[in-house]
Amino acid sequence: MAIITKQARKKIWAFLALGMFSGLLLLPLFLSLPTGASGADPVPAASAKAADAKSVEKSRDVWYKTEGPVVGAPAPKTTDGPKDYPRYNFESRVLLWVGLQQHLYYGSFVLAVPIFCMVVEYLGIISKDKALSRKYDQLAYDFVKISLTAYSLTALLGGIVIFTFLTLYPTFFTYLSGIFRPVMATYALLFIAESGTLYIYYYGWDKMREGFLKWVHVSMSVMLNVIGTVLMMLANSWIAFMQSPAGVDADGRYLGNIWHVIHTTLWNPINVHRLLGNMAFGGGVVAAYAAYRFLTSKTDEERAHYDWMGYVAMFIGVCFLIPLPFAGYWLMREVYAYRQQMGITLMGGLLAWLFIIQAVMIGALFLTTNYYLWQGMERMRGAERYQKYIKYMVFVLIACFIVWLTPHTIVMTPAELKAMGGQQHPVLGNYGVMSAKNGAINTIITTTVLSFIMYQRGNKIPTVKWAPLGNSFLFGFFTMAYINIIWLAIYGYYIPANVRVGLSVPQVASTLSCLFIGVTLNALMLKGAKDTGPIAWGQISVRSQYALIMLATSFTWMMGLMGYIRSSVRLFWHVNEIMRDNSPWAFTHTIGFGANMISFNVLFFWMTILFVFWLGSLGAKKAPVTAPSGQKVPIPASSH
Amino acid sequence: MLTGKVLGFITALLIVLIGGALLIILPNSGAVQLMHRAFHLGWPGALVIVGLLLYFQFFRKNDQNRSELVFKCVVGLLGYGMLFIAIANYAMNFNDESAGAPGEPRFLPISLVMFTVASFTMAMYFKGVRVLLQIGGFMFFVAACLAGFGNWLPQVKADPPPVEEKTADVKQMSVSERSDLGEKLIFGAVGASGTQGAIGKGQCPLCHGFQKGFLSERAPNLFGVPTRALERLTDPKYSQKDPSKRDTVQKEACPGCGTAQSAAEYIAESHACPNCYVVAGFGVKGTNDKESPMPAIHKPPIALTLDELIAVDTWLFAREGVDPPSPDEIEAAYKKFIPESDRPKPAGAPGAAPAGPVPGAPVVTGDEPVNEIFTKALCFACHTIPGIPGAVGAVGPKLVEKTNAPQRLKDPDYKGKATTVREYIMESILTPSMYVVKPYPDNIMPKDFGKKLNAAAINKIINYLSQLEEGKAPPKIE
Repeated sequence: MAIITKQARKKIWAFLALGMFSGLLLLPLFLSLPTGASGADPVPAASAKAADAKSVEKSRDVWYKTEGPVVGAPAPKTTDGPKDYPRYNFESRVLLWVGLQQHLYYGSFVLAVPIFCMVVEYLGIISKDKALSRKYDQLAYDFVKISLTAYSLTALLGGIVIFTFLTLYPTFFTYLSGIFRPVMATYALLFIAESGTLYIYYYGWDKMREGFLKWVHVSMSVMLNVIGTVLMMLANSWIAFMQSPAGVDADGRYLGNIWHVIHTTLWNPINVHRLLGNMAFGGGVVAAYAAYRFLTSKTDEERAHYDWMGYVAMFIGVCFLIPLPFAGYWLMREVYAYRQQMGITLMGGLLAWLFIIQAVMIGALFLTTNYYLWQGMERMRGAERYQKYIKYMVFVLIACFIVWLTPHTIVMTPAELKAMGGQQHPVLGNYGVMSAKNGAINTIITTTVLSFIMYQRGNKIPTVKWAPLGNSFLFGFFTMAYINIIWLAIYGYYIPANVRVGLSVPQVASTLSCLFIGVTLNALMLKGAKDTGPIAWGQISVRSQYALIMLATSFTWMMGLMGYIRSSVRLFWHVNEIMRDNSPWAFTHTIGFGANMISFNVLFFWMTILFVFWLGSLGAKKAPVTAPSGQKVPIPASSH
Repeated sequence: MLTGKVLGFITALLIVLIGGALLIILPNSGAVQLMHRAFHLGWPGALVIVGLLLYFQFFRKNDQNRSELVFKCVVGLLGYGMLFIAIANYAMNFNDESAGAPGEPRFLPISLVMFTVASFTMAMYFKGVRVLLQIGGFMFFVAACLAGFGNWLPQVKADPPPVEEKTADVKQMSVSERSDLGEKLIFGAVGASGTQGAIGKGQCPLCHGFQKGFLSERAPNLFGVPTRALERLTDPKYSQKDPSKRDTVQKEACPGCGTAQSAAEYIAESHACPNCYVVAGFGVKGTNDKESPMPAIHKPPIALTLDELIAVDTWLFAREGVDPPSPDEIEAAYKKFIPESDRPKPAGAPGAAPAGPVPGAPVVTGDEPVNEIFTKALCFACHTIPGIPGAVGAVGPKLVEKTNAPQRLKDPDYKGKATTVREYIMESILTPSMYVVKPYPDNIMPKDFGKKLNAAAINKIINYLSQLEEGKAPPKIE
């Protein structure tokens, strides 16, 4: 009876924790509900008093179109000079760019890691297998340990950013802080709450190891994540306001409704996009940490642990990478709905080439993921039977990748232009068009899914009765998908552009069907499958760990790139259409300069975080718990 | 036997020899300058390493590890040298105006590759931090590839629009001058209306089509708008008699503004209040055509002034051969829909709104001498142009237009609209496919010169080319 009660209690806690976690994920949705404030906005007390004496001046919100009392000063009209733009002997915008980007990298990392921590710790609690449970607990502890030093650096960088902003853009900062005053105070308070919770969470790990206290501990991680997410959303409201202002009138005067100022039209898409992006990025950083520890490991046990950790982190990173384009699509759709010209500047105008870089990075990320999976198959007995297919897959992936990165037009010297006879190459120019690219990327993703299915069955042989049928179905399904994707890519050359656009829908449908139906069917086939041997964790090549580092570096670079795109689309506005940037740096840099800066930021971040890792390895107080030899090492349910 | 250490020493010796040879043979070359700069920046550290090397070599004679310590110093010195050459490359290129656009360095990724080589070299011998150095080096390599790719793509630096842009008094202009100004505001250049992708301050072609039959998916095609405007006024959805019955998010441009009564007023209302009437199928998605995605043109970010709006509207009429309304009529139409307080200030006046952005700025201003215009527009790459140094291209025909153009105009295959030499040259620049000289292929000449060249530049090109005659000396360059 007592056991049942204990189990029931465990379940209740489990549901509660799960509920809170779901609540956290749904928070952006609740916040996106339409506000009740529509004209009946509360009038601040000070203004109300003044209203007795004379009528309060009212104005119209630029976005919500509601009327509100003018309680703020208009956006200042700055001029180029030491008053509005004091400077060192360097481009102020670049200095702030570096500071902000570093703060963002660290901020994203310390916001993402507690989310993994919460999930992994929770998995450890509900796991019935003691060894597995300990293993998960150790992993969660490892995660939070990494983020702790990074946390102090985040705060430090935040301070540097504020001082840089105040020093270099005093007028703009004064204007923004005037509007966001209540938000900034809340932000500071929440930051203190976050710090307190994090320290209790970390230092209380051993004390709250068993029973009810463990549940308190895991609940604390939920709280940590709620606070962290709200912090992120508040910070997002500032940049969203700069891009799509609301809550102010056309002159930039604050109209007294702080919710309007926070809840601008791009706020929620940015929130969701950043939350997912942080998770993918966090996965990348942890995978790089695991790779670093793997490469410096002295014992087989250590290698096994960090190999496993790297795999889990990579898996989490890629899992969050997959929904990221959909969140990106939502954000872009909202940008188009907000200002069509802004959308066109992004996707078809001045900044469009930056999306080409993004596309190349996506291709490289998929190549790397495939490479890692193939390397991972080497540590499975029985996976040799799939090795012979890899060379064909490499060929397909490389061919598609080359098509994917072939630009439509290339800048050339006059001599080159003359030699080629035009801006497009007579043969290769044909691959620079959308039809070829759509076919290429869908083939790349479908092949990645195929690699993953091969990885899933690496050391397993299906034993279900319908296995031959299932295999035939999978074979037929993938063949049809490839034919559909490639045929539509060719067909696209023969039809007008407006019809061609529609072809991407059946192509993407083929790819997604392979992903969901293929992986699910394969998992069903592997139920009760025969093991051909355990996964020899730790016996993976050194090259595979460099693939993880490549993934991490690419995630970081892509984050820098997308942040740059989002920020530079404001062109010459501090606050879009409200406050013009009149500094000497209101121009938009070339792509090359942007790419150099992003590389600098990425390297600066990695140099500092490698230092953090190194510091962490010096003070390693807990040896990793390892499974006894021969015992199955836990892996995420979805991986096998 | 060649051990790693021997190989290392040989490599170091080779590098020193090559460096020395460079210093002697090419004392003014870029590589030597780079080494000078690197030495200038990093000599104190190098001195410390050399000091250590000498110390280990001469004062630790009994130390068992002496040879290894000395060797590490040599490798350290090499890695250090490369590191500072990479830094010097950064320092020298960061503000290098010749590398790309001013202050836009394009050779910096090379530094990153050098960092990679330096860290991998160091990692071979410094075992304690080997993995850190290798990971760091690998990251430098990834970052170098990505930055290199970014630098390889077309480079465009977009300047903000000038805060004050003076427009001449449109009321003093002739109809054609006013119309030209309108075309420039819409497409960026006079005569650019037929060029795909040409775009001006008004940004209209971002969404609107202007040619007959052109597929315009984002916003209505404006071909035929002067006549169609009158049809729209009778559309029940327009609700000309009672704007309050309109099923749109904004019923009137301003309280009491009323509705349009003429084509000029309809166009003015559409510019001032795009939400007042949304053409079916072109509303913001999900609003059932109650809201337009178009911004009010007199407000930021486009913020055309009244004079500019008059010019734009004039072009809309004039290009279809319809007599445009007078500037006063158009101005009155705008004043009807834009209240005094909301009216854009005349350009140059205090508090005037900033002009909108011009993506992909023209390659020339038109103030340059004509040879510079030919060079910047890359004409010389494909054409032979007498009198222009280096213009000996053979991809396209030789441009002796005083001789060629009259013959081409008489060619039975000529389907263009030009009747004079000047018109023919302009047509060939703006719509190269209109007539393709045999045996040259079509679609080689870019079709976006209307965007890259402004009216003044095109005019200078026409002036020059129309004077070129086969067998005669070219005119003087202005």
